Amino acid sequence: MTHSDDVEHLAECSACRQRFAANVVPFDPAARRNREREFTSVAGKLERERDESSDVVARYLRDTPTDEWSRLAEMPDLRNNAALEQMSEEVRRRLHRNPREALAIANLSASIAESLAPSQYPSVVLAQLRGTAWKDRASTLRYLARYDEALEAAERGEEAVAPFPSLAHDRAIIRLVKAITLGQLERFEEARAIFSECRQVFREHGDTKRYVQAGMAEAGSLYEADRIDDARKLWMDLLPHATAEGDVETQARIHNNLGYCEIRRDEFGSANIHFSEAVAGFTDLGYTSEVARTERGAGLVLIARGQITSGFARLRDARRAFTVAGMTEDAGLCGLNIAAVLIERGDRTAARAIAQDVIDEFTAAGMNERAISAVIALRDAIDVDDATAETVNTVHAVVESLREIHDAAN
Amino acid sequence: MDDAPEDLRPLLPCRVDENVFARIYEENCGLLVSLAVRKFQVPTVDAEALAHEVFLSYLRHAGEVRDLHHWLIGAICNASRYYWRKHGRNIEQLDTDIAAERPDPRSRNILFDLPDNIALDEVLERMPPRWAQILRLRYLDGYSIKEIAEQQGVTSKYMQKLVGKCLHRAQEIFNGMRARKDQ
Repeated sequence: MTHSDDVEHLAECSACRQRFAANVVPFDPAARRNREREFTSVAGKLERERDESSDVVARYLRDTPTDEWSRLAEMPDLRNNAALEQMSEEVRRRLHRNPREALAIANLSASIAESLAPSQYPSVVLAQLRGTAWKDRASTLRYLARYDEALEAAERGEEAVAPFPSLAHDRAIIRLVKAITLGQLERFEEARAIFSECRQVFREHGDTKRYVQAGMAEAGSLYEADRIDDARKLWMDLLPHATAEGDVETQARIHNNLGYCEIRRDEFGSANIHFSEAVAGFTDLGYTSEVARTERGAGLVLIARGQITSGFARLRDARRAFTVAGMTEDAGLCGLNIAAVLIERGDRTAARAIAQDVIDEFTAAGMNERAISAVIALRDAIDVDDATAETVNTVHAVVESLREIHDAAN
Repeated sequence: MDDAPEDLRPLLPCRVDENVFARIYEENCGLLVSLAVRKFQVPTVDAEALAHEVFLSYLRHAGEVRDLHHWLIGAICNASRYYWRKHGRNIEQLDTDIAAERPDPRSRNILFDLPDNIALDEVLERMPPRWAQILRLRYLDGYSIKEIAEQQGVTSKYMQKLVGKCLHRAQEIFNGMRARKDQ
């Protein structure tokens, strides 16, 4: 179902809003006054709580050992909307750098939200508090790869808001987390249907940021399902919204994705333009590692599709960008990608030179001895004319696996 | 200088007094109730309750809502649809993209043909409630386009297009019924 243009028009035109609302629906003035009074009084209460509770959550979290955070649910000054809003913000802040702490806060928040007295807020506001708390718990569980529990938490959030028709926006925010989780469980069809539904709700509420977020996820799932034209169309549709929002990062990501779509459609010229736009965006933002990753991804895909010259140029740019960013290991891996292409083209001298460069860089950076030995073995194999592109790819895989082991150990 | 249109500026960037909320309620309550009643045929009493819930739910989103009217209208439309999903009825919302198209010439004689072929009520029964109401007003109760437009709170020009679309839909329903009978 679409949100028809006349409704869109009403949102933008005050004259039509007035005409539409004028003298059609009879109402009980006393009842309406009472409702207005309730609305302003709840609004005032929420504002007062926000004024009185500034930083209350940060203070409690700072002054309480992490393993005792669950006991904070009893603290009277944390049992209100303002504190729960702050907890949600704390979850968001810690999600990437400390997901376990984020989960502890989300659990605290859910426990408080579920035990607030029914008389404390109108039931619709209580439902929102509970929905948000469960959504935060779902997000953190998803981040910790505990997907089944994440789904359960998201469903608890959905249940909390289900009785209230007016909570479509809240419902969509919760369901977006659910859909992302479903995607990670490779339940792509279910995820895609929810992404699409959420996108529609966000659009109707004028929530462009989340509209783009849901659209990005939906387009990604279309791409995964090999529906390249649909994915491309959706990313194209999202681009002006991201531009209107001034969201340069999302614009760059969309261009990067469009680049991949164009390669799949054999539109290499257009692909190169999109990759260049993505690189320009990431460069403007100072995201040096993203610049390099974009170049490398584009280079590898272009080469795989037989576009050797442009792909090779992108790999060289990527290696340079990784080096500038101080990402020696990635620069080395990219060097190996280049060496594979050179060997394939019969240019063994250049392939040996780059292998030697990688050895020197790895040695200077004090990298894993086994990684260095693997590249030395490759160089020696090139010397005796015994290296193929497959040999290089094997060495690449060895170096990459050593990195994964190192990352896991840390 | 901030040259953004007033409607697009955040209404509630930080702390505000209760008068601002009172103004939001007063200025928009009638619109939200009208939308629920007119566009979605929600009974008035329930529409008032839905609109009130929309206002209450807005309070927790106030800080992030950039376009108040867009948000409120989106919320009441979604709330009305959800209301009917819970009450077991499907509401098809009016689609002005299609309505803006020229009415299908095949619909022109529908008023002469329909009564001869089927009971009009049977067709109207199968139409979305608001569309059926518009056709009843126009062709059974004898209201003019202008009068229906005023009653529905839209322009006469739009109502003219809408009536064309309703007729077209009636024709489609009728054709579908006839095809089933022929099978």
